[in-house]
Amino acid sequence: MAEPVVLLTGAAVTAVLGLGWLALAMDVHWEQVHGDEAPSVAVAKALRIAGAFALALSLGLCLGSDHPSMAVLVWLMLLAGAAAAVAATLSWRPHWLRRAWPGPRRAPE
Amino acid sequence: MFQNFRLSMAWLHTWFGLVLGFVLMVVFFFGSLSVFDREIDRWAIPSSRFAPQPMPSFDQILTPAFEKMQPAKEAVALLEGRVNGPLPERFELATSWGAYTTHRDPVVSVFAGFKVPDAKDPEETVFAVHALDPRSGAVLPQGQLRIGSEFFYPLHYSLHLGWKDLGYWVVGFSALMMLAALVSGVVMHRKIFREFFTFRRHKTVQRGALDLHNLTGVVALPFHFFFAFTGLVIFAGIYFPVAHTQLHDLHEQHERVEAQATGLPHERAGVAAPMASVDAMVAEARRRWEAKGMAGDVGFVNVQHVGDANAYVSVYRAGTDRVALTGEGVHFKATTGELLREDPPRSAVDSVNEFLTGLHLQHFRHWLLRWLYVLGGLLGCVCIATGFLFFVEKRKQQHAKAGGQGSRVVDALAVTTVTGMLVATMAMLVANRLLPESLADKGAWERNVFWSAWALTMLHAVVRGGALARAGTNPAWREQCWAIAAGALTAVVANALTTGDHLGRTLSTGYWPVAGVDLSLIATAVIAALVARKLAQRARRSSSAASSAPAALKTAEARHG
Repeated sequence: MAEPVVLLTGAAVTAVLGLGWLALAMDVHWEQVHGDEAPSVAVAKALRIAGAFALALSLGLCLGSDHPSMAVLVWLMLLAGAAAAVAATLSWRPHWLRRAWPGPRRAPE
Repeated sequence: MFQNFRLSMAWLHTWFGLVLGFVLMVVFFFGSLSVFDREIDRWAIPSSRFAPQPMPSFDQILTPAFEKMQPAKEAVALLEGRVNGPLPERFELATSWGAYTTHRDPVVSVFAGFKVPDAKDPEETVFAVHALDPRSGAVLPQGQLRIGSEFFYPLHYSLHLGWKDLGYWVVGFSALMMLAALVSGVVMHRKIFREFFTFRRHKTVQRGALDLHNLTGVVALPFHFFFAFTGLVIFAGIYFPVAHTQLHDLHEQHERVEAQATGLPHERAGVAAPMASVDAMVAEARRRWEAKGMAGDVGFVNVQHVGDANAYVSVYRAGTDRVALTGEGVHFKATTGELLREDPPRSAVDSVNEFLTGLHLQHFRHWLLRWLYVLGGLLGCVCIATGFLFFVEKRKQQHAKAGGQGSRVVDALAVTTVTGMLVATMAMLVANRLLPESLADKGAWERNVFWSAWALTMLHAVVRGGALARAGTNPAWREQCWAIAAGALTAVVANALTTGDHLGRTLSTGYWPVAGVDLSLIATAVIAALVARKLAQRARRSSSAASSAPAALKTAEARHG
């Protein structure tokens, strides 16, 4: 088993990514990030699945690091922190989230 | 009374949230600081700045210290009127000795209970409490206040309102209403998921405040709910005090029956007897924990009926490896060291209770989770503070027009509880570093500085609140932010000058308790200064907008100003 610090860092990163993807699946946030209309239905679905998977992975990494009762607390608190971080990013630096998921290909002008 | 359920929930949320929000702000903020209470203690008492120590030898270090202990004068003074005849000069009969430490404590808390002779209540006990240096057995001077664990932490759950335990009740009621506020908040909030990540800070202050209020309330909802709930569980014994009131006799009887069942004597035998080696008993307890596969740090050792033939020693584990607050106590006959009892596996109800209390009280060793708790607490503070802002923003135009004082009063109280509380905290830390160590009752001075500074911030907020009459922003917000920034930096500098433990040293030697407090103070100063600057820019913008406003508005302003 890897070091707890590695596992918990991974859990934090996947929590932020997961919530970031779930946010991008929403029309208004996709527009904030990509400056374009809503994501296509297929992209939104893919984002939701990827987001859910990342959050599950985050829980798994927490469980790998600590006793289950503690791991659940760590995970819930990481989600709170990650959600606040995603919301703050969307408000101040939405373009940072462009790297989280490719935007629509722009037609050459 | 209301047209629909949502409106009645909104009424509940607004008015109970407003009134109890002032209490909850204090509870959340000092609760967040209490997560690192031991570290703040290190910062405040330089003589305790050394590495955490394991429980010292009971026979060599603790017993000699206990034998010298006597209750403090203040504790004895509280017995006035509870004793037939005069109060004794010395208390001879020790009923119990206890020593408590955690993985974050360099010093051990030691407490000795003494029987009060001729007391009206035969069970009256008076305690002597000290912090002890486990390396030498010396007790730390009593006048020094452990600001983290003896001031901020009790402020979190009792508001330091000692009279008839009023503070516990106010905090308990606020926690209960907070649960109601969470439920009613969820009912009112129509777009929980659609606006989960939404913070529209470019729109009006009112919009931004509401977004932030919703955001911080919703993302940390499990934290808010569980901490309010477990706080109530922890003090259930205070909120339902049946054991010592209505059921007093039954409670006594239960203690006797329990003593029979466990073999741990309920009363003294009245026959003096010497104590066997407690260190040997501690070693045996550790051996038993190890056999069960549990980490073996000792957290709490207690001797009951000291010096008597019926004396027994209880050794409890420091449960650093799990959330549940468990001790796995092992109990010995003090005169012989013979094993009396090992605590049986816990029942389901006990397990739930210990998990819930452990979740709140955090004896575990997990630095990330500790910081996440601080984050949760601060998100709660933001939630309450933005609730105040929204309340004022929504009403101030209307109040200004009608000449009402409502939003001015609420705003002044909000300034006092948000920035004023921080100013008072900074003032206390600065006083802690600048008052001489030798000052008798230094702790009382520090408390006075805290409360005086807080009272001054309230006065300041009220005096500067005139802008609200013109539907403006109270400049006290900005001015107190500057005070916070200045106070926090002063505290860091004063710590470096008076103790030599500047960040260069604490960081390079890895002494995180002090480095962490200093770094947090610097972060506070930076944030406060940025906020103050932002508020100043906004004030300049709105005053230049006002000067170009139509003349009619200016006359209205003059009338209200």
